[in-house]
Amino acid sequence: MSLAPLLPFVEWCQNTWVGGIIRGSTWLFPAIETVHLFGLTLLLGTTFIVDLRLFGLVMPRQRASLIAGDLAPWTWAGLIVSVLTGVLLFLTEAMKCFQNDAFRAKMVLLVLAMVFQVTVFRKVIAEDARVGSIWGKLTGLLSLLLWFGVGAAGRVIGFL
Amino acid sequence: MSFLHFFEWLQNTGWASALRESSLVFPIVEGIHLLALSASVGAIAICDLRLLGVLMKREPVSTLMKHVWPWSLAGYAVMFASGSLLFASEAVKCYGNGWFRLKVFLLLLAGVNAAIFHLTVYKSVAGWDVSATPPFRARLAGGFSLFIWALVIAAGRTTAYNL
Repeated sequence: MSLAPLLPFVEWCQNTWVGGIIRGSTWLFPAIETVHLFGLTLLLGTTFIVDLRLFGLVMPRQRASLIAGDLAPWTWAGLIVSVLTGVLLFLTEAMKCFQNDAFRAKMVLLVLAMVFQVTVFRKVIAEDARVGSIWGKLTGLLSLLLWFGVGAAGRVIGFL
Repeated sequence: MSFLHFFEWLQNTGWASALRESSLVFPIVEGIHLLALSASVGAIAICDLRLLGVLMKREPVSTLMKHVWPWSLAGYAVMFASGSLLFASEAVKCYGNGWFRLKVFLLLLAGVNAAIFHLTVYKSVAGWDVSATPPFRARLAGGFSLFIWALVIAAGRTTAYNL
């Protein structure tokens, strides 16, 4: 699939005044990256604990739906912070990101992870009876791989 | 032998040089460091937020300390091991970097904070285990831990920019 039709939009992103301001500052980019990491830490840390509950390794006596329900607002808060700061970082170097295979992989993984989260993951968590089964464990494993895959692909962007 | 001489020797060892020059292994170790950091600090943050009385209030504090805290330690071990490798490969640069020094100092501070918490107020956890809002000193330890870890992440990220 060719992504060429997106090019004018990416160029427009690159040329927004927001991107220009961040590019012109020594401090803004690292500062935004730091907040991006705060969001990622909340997102991955809370996901990690809920996934471990699906494996039966964390608080096995407490219902998974309660643990997931308690942590969900923090997971979503982490995601929102990551996405908002991520958009700012993208505006700063949109063309570079667009041509970066790790960035493309990250976006695909992000969409897959979010779709998985609101479909399979949500369904399995809602029915506590399924949590102990092999399907519950598989759901935890897939969730872990998808979300940590997003983080790993993000780290690789800077190396390509 | 001064620190600097030692770090020069360290980063010139065969394995440290190989790591620095590898276009595959170095990014992998960096990736492991980042993922271990998010798992570990995320798990610590859950414990800290419980101590502050803002999250998982229906769980006893000791349940989180028994079940979630060990995973943050496991993540910490991976983060420390991968961080040590990254440090060895660029020891002289890190040694001269103010942000890196700040980060090491903050890590020590986080450790001291956790030790004080465990040796003092946590000893009496039986008395406040199920209360939604733990005593002031427990909240203080949780809040301080969150603050320190946020600074560790900021210092770690800024280290790479040589600002």
